[in-house]
Amino acid sequence: MTGDRIDWIGALGALALLVVIPLIFGSSYIIGVMTVALCYGMWAASWDFMSGLTGRENFGHSLFIGAGAYTAGFLDVNFGLSPWWSLMAAPLVAVLFGILMGFPTLRLRGPYFALAMLSGSAVMQNLTIIFSVYTGGQDGLNGLTPLLDSTLAQYYLTLGFLAASGVLLRLIANSPWGLILRAIRGDEATCQAAGINVNFYKIASLMISAAVAGLGGALYAHYQLQVGPDLFTVVLSINIIIMVYVGGIGSIYGPIGGALLLNVLTETLRGLSEYRLWVYTLVLVVILFFLPQGAIAPLWRRIRRVLP
Amino acid sequence: MLQILIYGAVISSIYALLAVGFTLVFGVARILNLAHGAFYALGAYGVYTLTANVHLPLWLAAIVAVVLVGLLGVLIERVLVRPLRRSMLAVLLITLAVALMIEQVLLLAFGSEARNVPSLVDVTYHLLGVDISGQRLFALAGGIVVLAGLWSFLQFTRLGSAILAVSQDAEAAQYMGIPSDRMYSIVMGMSAGMAAAAGVLVAPFQSVIPSMGLLPLVKAFVIVVVGGLGSIAGSVVGALLLGFSETIIAFKISIEWSQIVSVAAVLVTLVLRPAGFFGKRAAF
Repeated sequence: MTGDRIDWIGALGALALLVVIPLIFGSSYIIGVMTVALCYGMWAASWDFMSGLTGRENFGHSLFIGAGAYTAGFLDVNFGLSPWWSLMAAPLVAVLFGILMGFPTLRLRGPYFALAMLSGSAVMQNLTIIFSVYTGGQDGLNGLTPLLDSTLAQYYLTLGFLAASGVLLRLIANSPWGLILRAIRGDEATCQAAGINVNFYKIASLMISAAVAGLGGALYAHYQLQVGPDLFTVVLSINIIIMVYVGGIGSIYGPIGGALLLNVLTETLRGLSEYRLWVYTLVLVVILFFLPQGAIAPLWRRIRRVLP
Repeated sequence: MLQILIYGAVISSIYALLAVGFTLVFGVARILNLAHGAFYALGAYGVYTLTANVHLPLWLAAIVAVVLVGLLGVLIERVLVRPLRRSMLAVLLITLAVALMIEQVLLLAFGSEARNVPSLVDVTYHLLGVDISGQRLFALAGGIVVLAGLWSFLQFTRLGSAILAVSQDAEAAQYMGIPSDRMYSIVMGMSAGMAAAAGVLVAPFQSVIPSMGLLPLVKAFVIVVVGGLGSIAGSVVGALLLGFSETIIAFKISIEWSQIVSVAAVLVTLVLRPAGFFGKRAAF
């Protein structure tokens, strides 16, 4: 049980750090970067919950992000509803997409599930461009209302949602529920033989993952005040996967750290302009070769072992 | 109508060239190579720089470009992919890293503006009432020749048989004295070379830009899924299906809808028959 307490203390420490950062560096630029990073954190954690635990790599996570963000966009720009409604509607719509994609595709294995999800997000990206009358095409929907007036308040709101969803996902992952998901990754046939309704667990985990991703999408939309078809791109999905990999697959908190780290890293490297992507790629190669378990989750485990 | 037939055939042959190389690597070495589109771009840029900067004659530049990209493919398999073969996700990410790196190198070396590559065949034919450039017909012929060459290589040579043996069961092949690892390198080289050949063939009538590899990669993905991962015959059929349906829709409806056909095809195939039309291995 002491291990658990150290985890909670570590989480509180990280949270305190994230609360303090904008108070020290008060510039709205840094707060903006951090808000986006927090959204990425939600996306990475939700990816990890489904794919990291069950071992079904989802290469179309942007489908849920885009669904959430566009829901926010429609409700706000086309129907003029208060932005708080979109925070409720976006996860629901994302879950709907999760069910829609989950039933036909979750029986697929390995690369096939990855490809199915990837093509699902690509279909949505194309549809937003084809039905540009409603979606604004390449330009997307503009002029969303911000959730809160000050960027600092918005940052804390996003942080609150990230912390809540991170803790929730981690608790589920550590419960018997999460154990079943891990067992499915190990051997699906044995799970089935043991009387576990494998499909129910896989679809439920995809729905939870989609809900958090959709919520993150809505928060992102109401921060950027704009949604576009780039929220459906494969590049976004792959970026999230890289963040999860850097953080450490299957740990939930690792991917959040990976998302924050890589977002901050790319922002600080903006000065290198053309060579920025080089550094990004290089980080990826180094991690793949020398830290196959990722960087952040193993680091924390090592620290925890040293602590009393 | 005839126009659709000819344009569709040209596109199909290029798609087939890309998809067969892609599926070959997956079928034999179990590598889903996200750098495949980057090899295609390298082929096009290779022939450009070899003619414009090194001043080789065009035909020689084309051959040299294909061979060099093939060697690069071997090198990448040896150095980067082989140590990570255990994990599918790691292989996907490392080939992705390679693709990003190649695109960045091209961007730094050539800039983002489109480059022009001269045509190998610089005449326009008037065929059955349709005007078509010689280069497009040459691309069609080139695609067919390379594919026929690959097929006879796999069917009639010792090395080809060894590759097929590894694709059926790598472990059993290893017991029979076939060095599986070396086969993986060879296949990766061949696949990269074929992607480069496709790039060389389309370079004169496509805009040669650093990001040109992305769309062909997606198309190769689609074809391979529809035809069955690892099946060469399936890829050729898939390429014909996609090439013609895209051309028909582009002529009759609009270009935007032709893009959605391909992804929709993947979804439908994966839902109805995940192993693809010709795939042997079950996907679930």
